[in-house]
Amino acid sequence: MRAAEILARDGPNVLSPPKETPEIIKFLKQMIGGFSSLLWAGAVLCFIAYLIEFSKDKSASLDNLYLGGVLIVVVILTGMFAYYQEAKSTNIIASFTKMIPRNALVIRNGEKYEIPAEHLVLGDIVEIKGGDQIPADIRILTSQGCKVDNSSLTGESEPQFRSCEVTHENPLESKNIGFYSTTCLEGTATGMVINTGDRTVIGRIASLASSVGHEKTPIAIEIEHFVHIVAGVAVSIGIVFFIIAICMKYRVLDAVIFLIGIILANVPEGLVAAVTVSLSLTAKRMAKKNCLVKNLEAVETLGSTSIICSDKTGTLTQNRMTVAHLWFDNEIYQADTSENQKDQIFDQSSATWTSLSKIVMLCNRAEFKSGQESVPIMKKIVMGDASEAALLKFSEVVMGDVIERRKKNRKVVEIPFNSVNKFQLSIHETDDPNDKRFLLVMKGAPERILEKCSTIMINGQEQPLDESSVKAFQDAYMELGGLGERVLGFCHLYLPEDEFPDNYSFDVESMNFPTSDLCFVGLISLIDPPRSTVPDAVIKCRSAGIKVIMVTGDHPITAKAIARSVGIISANSETVEDIAKRLKIPVEKVNKREAKAAVVSGMELKEMSPEQLDELLANHTEIVFARTSPQQKLVIVEGCQRQNAIVAVTGDGVNDSPALKKADIGIAMGCAGSDAAKIAADMVLLDDNFSSIVTGIEEGRLIFDNLKKIIAFTLTKNIAELIPFLIFIIAGVPLPIGTIAILFIDLGTDIIPSIALAYEKAESDIMNRKPRHKKKDRLVNHQLALYSYLQIGILQSVGGFFAYFTVYTVQGFKPDLLLYLRPLWENDSLNDLEDSYGQEWTKYQRQYLEWTGYTAYFVAVMVQQIADVIIRKTRINSVFQQGLFRNKYIWVGIASQIIIAVILSSGFGSIPVLNFTTLRIQYWFVAVPYAIVIWLYDEFRKLLVRHYPGSWWDKTMYY
Amino acid sequence: MTKDEKKPLEQTLGEWKRFIYNPGSGEILGRTAESWGLILLFYLAFYGFLAALFTFTMWVMLQTLSDETPKYRDQISSPGLTIVPKPPGALEFSLNISKPATYENYIDAIKEFLREYEGKKQEHLLQCRNGTFFEQDNIFPKKTCKFSLETLGPCSGLNDVNFGYPDGNPCIFVKMNRIIGLRPQGEPRIVCAVKEGTEVNLATFPKDGRLDLMYFPYYGKKLHVNYRQPVVALQVQFQSYNQEVSIECKIEGSPNLRNQDERDKFLGRVAFKISLTQ
Repeated sequence: MRAAEILARDGPNVLSPPKETPEIIKFLKQMIGGFSSLLWAGAVLCFIAYLIEFSKDKSASLDNLYLGGVLIVVVILTGMFAYYQEAKSTNIIASFTKMIPRNALVIRNGEKYEIPAEHLVLGDIVEIKGGDQIPADIRILTSQGCKVDNSSLTGESEPQFRSCEVTHENPLESKNIGFYSTTCLEGTATGMVINTGDRTVIGRIASLASSVGHEKTPIAIEIEHFVHIVAGVAVSIGIVFFIIAICMKYRVLDAVIFLIGIILANVPEGLVAAVTVSLSLTAKRMAKKNCLVKNLEAVETLGSTSIICSDKTGTLTQNRMTVAHLWFDNEIYQADTSENQKDQIFDQSSATWTSLSKIVMLCNRAEFKSGQESVPIMKKIVMGDASEAALLKFSEVVMGDVIERRKKNRKVVEIPFNSVNKFQLSIHETDDPNDKRFLLVMKGAPERILEKCSTIMINGQEQPLDESSVKAFQDAYMELGGLGERVLGFCHLYLPEDEFPDNYSFDVESMNFPTSDLCFVGLISLIDPPRSTVPDAVIKCRSAGIKVIMVTGDHPITAKAIARSVGIISANSETVEDIAKRLKIPVEKVNKREAKAAVVSGMELKEMSPEQLDELLANHTEIVFARTSPQQKLVIVEGCQRQNAIVAVTGDGVNDSPALKKADIGIAMGCAGSDAAKIAADMVLLDDNFSSIVTGIEEGRLIFDNLKKIIAFTLTKNIAELIPFLIFIIAGVPLPIGTIAILFIDLGTDIIPSIALAYEKAESDIMNRKPRHKKKDRLVNHQLALYSYLQIGILQSVGGFFAYFTVYTVQGFKPDLLLYLRPLWENDSLNDLEDSYGQEWTKYQRQYLEWTGYTAYFVAVMVQQIADVIIRKTRINSVFQQGLFRNKYIWVGIASQIIIAVILSSGFGSIPVLNFTTLRIQYWFVAVPYAIVIWLYDEFRKLLVRHYPGSWWDKTMYY
Repeated sequence: MTKDEKKPLEQTLGEWKRFIYNPGSGEILGRTAESWGLILLFYLAFYGFLAALFTFTMWVMLQTLSDETPKYRDQISSPGLTIVPKPPGALEFSLNISKPATYENYIDAIKEFLREYEGKKQEHLLQCRNGTFFEQDNIFPKKTCKFSLETLGPCSGLNDVNFGYPDGNPCIFVKMNRIIGLRPQGEPRIVCAVKEGTEVNLATFPKDGRLDLMYFPYYGKKLHVNYRQPVVALQVQFQSYNQEVSIECKIEGSPNLRNQDERDKFLGRVAFKISLTQ
């Protein structure tokens, strides 16, 4: 078979799925970059240090080996956790998309076959009919009223005619091409397959997505910045002390060990785990609010977003046509367009309404799908086009049981809507048994309906259609059209009983009934109304300094009307065109700076140079892009990114995927979105609702603040762990805290409190401040580093040393004796070292005292970290304003700190390698005064920051 | 993207220069002189406060302690044993009787160690009653019991100034670490045994290696200024040359002095090796 040959040559007619990164690569990716690189470097240094020590002394301490091992385990475990989290959300997305195998009706060898669409090959003749998805790019051979919806490709939402004539050189514009993945709305056609699979127009767009590079997420940049700071601090301190050690006549090899030790002491082992867990907690919280984040880092990206490019249909709007306005009795009435349409408050007492409602109900082919009795009206599935469905639901809400009423008014004959007539007509028996007349009802394009009328109904009375009523009609039509609504006209005629007796046989072909001199009843306008939560969300965005740009394929008028109704164009701002109209001057003469808002069509956008686009984006705060093709979205996104903005983009179609990928955060629609969009996106909106993005932004901003707190908390004790080592080198005292004890702080007592900080509530309304500036508002700024390192960190070290000296002193070694005692202290063969009181100690007894010192220092740091976690709850408010007990997890964290320390100190920790000893109870409280000082000092800092905003103190001490 | 483009070197250098000193704003390392002044002042004040806080807390802590006795003796409930003289590094004596250089240092170390016990240095010390604790909790200043070198027999140095080293009968002194307030129960004595090697006899002085209870308790170096620690001398009497012996000495006869700690090899015991060549 020829077809099989071609199939073998061209491959199946499917879009090759976007290249998914292999799972193992994804997994490995979690373990490199950012924090992990720091830990890897640390692990390598550990092994180097161990090798140096081992080459010197075969019985070298294994601590460095353990530390290296632990670092690697931490990286791998955290990587696995992050991978698992992301895989979980990917799975949720995958479960949304069920691949429905599509079939195509193909004519081969003169016979019709139904074959899977993927087996189509070049040159196949296919038949399509209303409701089908076009199975490949085809050239239309014959067409009977075939209309297609090209919105997913070009953005035009209006149905497009397809015929066999070539109307344009550009295949995208030509009427004789049907595109793969678009749907045929009505009519039938046959066509020849001209492109399959990835060679189709949509396939080429989809493959474009893979060529668009993905930018680094803002949080990744921040973490890199943080790693640079930590590495810088570590290496500088390391080198300084290396030089000091050399000057103090330490051996070079020892100095190298010190250098490595100092660098290692700066590595925040627990931070990577805490950050990953916090991000995934937020991701989980976001998922509850319908934002499913695929990539953990994107959690924060959403918070830094400064521009949202949002689709209109389905995201801002409800994605269903709804009756918005009615015009009868020379008056415009507003209908309820909210999601349930419960409050229809317009005047229903007029007789005109009675007539109009009858026409709306009867002149309508749409029906509810059966078996939905218990479903609320608005949720019922309707068979029929969008406008008819809207009218059906409207009638059902306003008048009740439409189907029953239709049965009472039996339909005699009907002419469905077609684009030549531009009207729809049906003739019914009346439900009044005494009235034997037939009722002719008609709806259609208002101007066509008006042409067919000679009278108009006002307050139930037929009146001749004079000039003033025509003028009133025109005004109303213009007004409703100006709101971007689709307007329909309605008229009727009671056929005289004598001419049309009840056995009259109506004939559609010959039209043996009047279609002129009808009575005009009213207008109804339809719109896809905004979701009711959107206006609030847009206001929130605005107060949060986020620019909302609407990008839609719809007509500019509709787009503008929706933009106005949701507040994307605020009530008092004008476009250049508005100003021109108001001042009655030509558009060119308007000062463009005066116009806050702009509505730009795709055609205009096409003509613009990138500089012009930049200017447009910079000068207008309220922008609507209408009639844009999905490809232009990419241009818009790039334009926004040139403004240094962090751009969030929504999209659902395959052709949105390049823009989704290019954007800092691509948001795909969970319900309406295509697989390709979901794969390209960083986040999936489960309810397709714009307001969910805003709640997501709130969470993103909160986690940024909380990450600051987590990092500040973690960095503090890093200094308290580093200083002992430095003092050990330069003052020759017995080591105050060992590697293992440090690990138990970093990966033991501190983990849960730092994660608990992720649950901290916002200090003030985070949606009232501007999005953070990429370059200025860093995650870790020098204020944070200095305050944590040089103030609280040093304070903590002093507290730790106090505990250390206390333990040594009460056991017999006074501080003055300890200075430079190290050579004797660590001498293995010296078993009668004299203490300050004349007692003599064996090596092991000293060793045990040293471990007691570790334990005391460890407990002191733990106690002060309790104060630290409490002060880190807030950065500017008093802890009491924030509520000391509001975040329960903090207290869980504090309990965990104490419990872990108690377990370690009460015997469990005395197993050989760990070297914890049991402390006398009073040593637990030695550092308490220091913890209190930390708390008081931070409250004092916050007090001054609050009271003197902008002062030197504020600039230096607020992180 | 643009951010990945490398900046030209001159520009980077220029930026650094401007960072180090910016003539426009008068900023040095990103801060004005005034700002630096404030920062330095602040940290001066902050660290001054910290130093004061530390000093104060240390002072309070020291106030709770006595100068004479440490508050706790948690780590030293039981004493360690050490030997004099002490070979450098591991406890392995390598003696060659025909090479005095191999033991001269040991003899010097012993002489130095025993100087405190010389008769004239102990003239003003008490002759205490044997076999009982010399309790003097309420006596100030504390008195010290005499430790007579005579009890050390051939190792006293009174007759043999070379402590037997040139004769192949080296003396090694075993002492128990001082611990304040320690009161050994029973009759503590140092018992030494040969672990490896056969042709060797051990003799301990005083008789049975007894540590007389009259030297306990110890009251600390401040109160008990002239305290003399009891010593046990061990004479290793080699029967033949060219052999190595391992010897372990332990405290025995006192239930509260431990001598079998797994981790502390010097708690109540001490092991050493002597190799003697000709």
